Amino acid sequence: MMDSRSALLEMRDVSVTVRGAGGEVPVLREVALEVRRGELVGVVGETGAGKSFTARAVLGLLPHGARRISGSVVFDGTELDTPRAYANLRGTRMGFVPQNPRLSLDPVFTVGSQLVAVIRRGRRMSRTHARKRGVALLTGLGVHEPERVMRSYAHQLSGGLCQRVCIAIALANDPELVIADEPTTGLDVTVQRQILDLLRSQLVRDGRGGLLITHDLGVIATWCDRVAVMYAGRVVAIGPVADVLREGHPYAHGLKGIAVALEQGVEPVAIPGTVPTPGDQIEGCAFAPRCAVATDLCRADDPAPRPYGDQLVRCHHPVADAELPAVGHPTRSEEVEV
Amino acid sequence: MSAGQTSRQSPVLELHRLRKTFKVGRGPKARKVRAVDDVSLTLDKGTTLAVVGESGSGKTTLARLAMSLLPPDDGDILLNGRNLTGLSPRALARFRPSMQMVFQDPFDSLAPWHTAEQIVGSSLHLRRDLGPAERRRLVVEVLERVGLPQRFLSRYPHELSGGQAQRVGIARAIVTRPSLVVLDEPTSALDMSVQAQILALLHELQNEEQLSYLFISHDLAVVRYLADRTAVMRRGQMVEVGDTAKIFDRPENDYTRELVEASPRVTAAPAGRQPDRARADGVSHRVRKAL
Ligand SMILES: Nc1ncnc2c1ncn2[C@@H]1O[C@H](COP(=O)(O)OP(=O)(O)OP(=O)(O)O)[C@@H](O)[C@H]1O
Ligand SMILES: Nc1ncnc2c1ncn2[C@@H]1O[C@H](COP(=O)(O)OP(=O)(O)O)[C@@H](O)[C@H]1O
Ligand code: SF4
Ligand SMILES: [Mg+2]
Ligand SMILES: [Mg+2]
Repeated sequence: MMDSRSALLEMRDVSVTVRGAGGEVPVLREVALEVRRGELVGVVGETGAGKSFTARAVLGLLPHGARRISGSVVFDGTELDTPRAYANLRGTRMGFVPQNPRLSLDPVFTVGSQLVAVIRRGRRMSRTHARKRGVALLTGLGVHEPERVMRSYAHQLSGGLCQRVCIAIALANDPELVIADEPTTGLDVTVQRQILDLLRSQLVRDGRGGLLITHDLGVIATWCDRVAVMYAGRVVAIGPVADVLREGHPYAHGLKGIAVALEQGVEPVAIPGTVPTPGDQIEGCAFAPRCAVATDLCRADDPAPRPYGDQLVRCHHPVADAELPAVGHPTRSEEVEV
Repeated sequence: MSAGQTSRQSPVLELHRLRKTFKVGRGPKARKVRAVDDVSLTLDKGTTLAVVGESGSGKTTLARLAMSLLPPDDGDILLNGRNLTGLSPRALARFRPSMQMVFQDPFDSLAPWHTAEQIVGSSLHLRRDLGPAERRRLVVEVLERVGLPQRFLSRYPHELSGGQAQRVGIARAIVTRPSLVVLDEPTSALDMSVQAQILALLHELQNEEQLSYLFISHDLAVVRYLADRTAVMRRGQMVEVGDTAKIFDRPENDYTRELVEASPRVTAAPAGRQPDRARADGVSHRVRKAL
């Protein structure tokens, strides 16, 4: 059972719709991904691609008006198909760091009392002991004054402190699966490194697993084993991080180009156009209007997932490493100095 | 760098020895938090000053002080040479359109019961010269500039993803063409491709309108790209300030150095920090080759 490579979480072709002005519109389209024991899987993609919905679909926490219309979610061999199936999982075996930390904390209780409550839900423990554990958790997450933070209300904390309180709540009961939705966007890079190092080493060591949603490819490259790239409600590429970033899906390459350009201090080349919004009529590949190598085939036929090396890509014309153009043009400062 | 070399007129914003302390808890267990502790900074017209540093180090508090959204315990705030410290809310109201802020958390800062059009339009409430059609045109135009087509006009914040909401926040700030824009992690909720578009937009607006940015960010790549000067904060204090290139290439302070080194990269995974860390070395190699 504790086979380190066995699947901890499997999402099989999950489709989710939300009620919009003109009826039901799809936000997730046949999302398939897997988290194995001992690995951290990244989810990357543009705003509105459906990353947060993916997290919520796994957790059975879809917002009002949204519903799963097909597909299945299997956690440690058990299919999660009813609200009941989740009853003893969330907060204990599954930990969740929501995208919006301040809003997810209760404004009328101190954050310490919320943390203590979660800790005591997972294990029998006196309030004093739970409090000590809360302080220890926060300290491990790089919080300098954990006592003061415990006594604060959410509105009295900086964004990054709220975020760490939410991470502490998610990790409080050593969940087997951690789903973190942009958990470090509000944190400085030293704290980010401390937290992701901690998260990764715990998960890998104990044969637990994590789904890390982020739009920061640097984070993916540094801390994740595999990555799923999402576009318009679909997983368009999934595979080992180095492979996905190296070659394959044109969209993944476009994202990488921007990250690399910024890192090298050159002007990034934005991917032209915008992501389709749910409800837009999509024919063929959803990325075709923005894709430099799109053909008539792409515009007519939505590509099914196919193997490409160790990846699975939804693309008719995956690009090989050698064919990829260079990214970026000269820096701002160079332009000025010339 | 670019616009910074234009003129040496009086700075848009001067912060002089600002202090702000908060109290948390009650009774004997009450604690004081020195959120901002004796910070002075200057922002020249048409330039970008970045504030980076530890989370909880007082960056947002500093931004709110600069915007006169919070009174300092001590110190002065000068906007275009005019001292705003101690002005009444009424007197301050006149200055509001010329200083705008984009907040860290888009959902916190957008009224949930207003549509995108109303939110952006609300910034123009002092422009009595605008008719409804003209106002709408400005709103449509600015939303399009930040990448939101017309159909978003009638959306409420809960119908937007995080990045879309942040774009509405940016539109609301720039629609009045302010002289000072305080951006508190404006791109941290945005993905790479939209980030690139927003950064290009901010850059373009700065050149066209001589906008001045006080830019708070944790993303050092973005700071390096956008900021002329950078200030580093830690535990309420400013530990280093100077030209961005110098701060990054020759940091003097230990904390600054630590910060610069901790920045995760696609092109170079930090070596030897973590034995089992996922590997991206192959990527860095290939990327370098591609460049
Ligand atoms: N209204 C308040 N009451 C009490 N403490 C506060 C209040 N606002 C801020 N603080 C505290 O002041 C310190 C500085 O907060 P601030 O929000 O300025 O940090 P920051 O540098 O913006 O952090 P982050 O990078 O996490 O956003 C923090 O310790 C915070 O908890
Ligand atoms: N409550 C909601 N009702 C309707 N549509 C929504 C709701 N929340 C988000 N959306 C839309 O669903 C899409 C996916 O959102 P989300 O999963 O939050 O994206 P992201 O990848 O940025 O996390 C977006 O286009 C967003 O505008
Ligand atoms: S299927 Fe065609 S349009 Fe879609 S990403 Fe691949 S090449 Fe581009
Ligand atoms: Mg999201
Ligand atoms: Mg802040």
